[in-house]
Amino acid sequence: MAFLEYKGKKFEVDEDGFLLKFEEWSPEWVEYIKESEGIPTITENHQKVIDFLQDYYKKNGIAPMVRILSKITGYKLKEIYELFPSGPGKGACKMAGLPKPTGCV
Amino acid sequence: MAFISSGYNPEKPMQDRITDIGPQHFTKFLPPIIAKNKGAWDYHEIIEPGMLMHVGLSGDKVFTVRCGGARLMSITNIREICDIADKYCGGHLRFTTRNNIEFMVSTLEEAKALKADLNGRKHTAGSHKFPVGGTGAGVTNIVHTQGWVHCHTPATDASGTVKATMDVVFEEFTNMRLPAPVRISMACCLNMCGAVHCSDIAILGIHRKPPIIDNENLDNVCEVPLAVAACPTGAIRPTKIELGGKQVNTVAVKQERCMFCGNCYTMCPAMPLSDKDGDGIALMVGGKISNRITKPAFSKVVVPFIPNEPPRWPTLTKTIKKILDTYAKDAHKYERLGDWANRIGWERFFEKCELEFSHHLIDDFRDPAYYTWRQTTQFKF
Repeated sequence: MAFLEYKGKKFEVDEDGFLLKFEEWSPEWVEYIKESEGIPTITENHQKVIDFLQDYYKKNGIAPMVRILSKITGYKLKEIYELFPSGPGKGACKMAGLPKPTGCV
Repeated sequence: MAFISSGYNPEKPMQDRITDIGPQHFTKFLPPIIAKNKGAWDYHEIIEPGMLMHVGLSGDKVFTVRCGGARLMSITNIREICDIADKYCGGHLRFTTRNNIEFMVSTLEEAKALKADLNGRKHTAGSHKFPVGGTGAGVTNIVHTQGWVHCHTPATDASGTVKATMDVVFEEFTNMRLPAPVRISMACCLNMCGAVHCSDIAILGIHRKPPIIDNENLDNVCEVPLAVAACPTGAIRPTKIELGGKQVNTVAVKQERCMFCGNCYTMCPAMPLSDKDGDGIALMVGGKISNRITKPAFSKVVVPFIPNEPPRWPTLTKTIKKILDTYAKDAHKYERLGDWANRIGWERFFEKCELEFSHHLIDDFRDPAYYTWRQTTQFKF
């Protein structure tokens, strides 16, 4: 597995660029990854989605279903895609430091 | 090769981005004669194996020559298919739902010339490139999956087993002498991508050992509740263990409840279970999807395990050939394999096909298992 360094922080990532350890997440990670996810600047809206994903993951041990993400944050799926062009899984979960989505994706 | 840009600008990924345009409309690619007679066909005939004739109400005729394809194809191969279509069919062709290739021409002479050309084309090693057949009551192409070529959960290979099987049943591809069509399908794990659950004969990759748990990484790469919920028999539970003086969250698998489906590995990369000697193939028979005479049916497991024997899988192909030959000899006209087995009774099916009946074949999955047992005194010794 590869190690990345950004602003003095070290991140261990897999080949798809997902963090291998949720605990290694830090705000620098979001800064680092946003470019490859096609996001010029992190807005409050982005932060709200990231914060919710992290809270939900800490509480439940899983990423929320898309409908739960929409309902709680108030962003429709279309708006989530506007915020995170790669979508809630590849985009938002990756930025939030959650594990890579699995199953037949 | 050095990088060559397509014009996409990674600095502005959303600029000039085209989305949601869907597939091309099929009418753009119809041969003129098909477009002209669309929705106005009168009847059809199978002229000879691999060659169909459709006659329109207008009197127009279309001859279709069907040939086998390996499904997994190189662009070189596809270009050759295009060259053939350019030469005979005005640049038109189509693929069937079983991944055969169909070329359409307007006269019988052209169709015969095309068939001869197709049958004459061979790979350097001697295999037919485009064997003509796959029509009527024969064995057509095998619907199959990714196997060791591309997937991460397979218990066997797809392209390999399919090539080995088609070689053994090749005569039936180019003939129409069976009681009814026999559909063979292949899936490399019991996700059953494709048609194995509803095919006359089905090849299915299975595991025989429980997953190995990578306790060190599990909590990092998996969403534990998903792995727990992925198990159809409730064999997985979350747990904490001591590892290198540290408490880590992980899962525990109750081995005697695990039936090696591999669903947990699909959800959780830290639970791999493929195993060289454990993995192999189960054979199922008797499924169909058409409504002809009898209702659609699921295929049933008749051989619980055949070892993986790459590259030719001799035991597998021998068993399939035996089932196919017995069916061909014994079944009535129009009788699909499952219809035949149901008529003669499954005890007779096992006897005639010389298959061993073991306890693995008796359903034990939840309440519905009961309905697969025999609640009658009607049976044959």
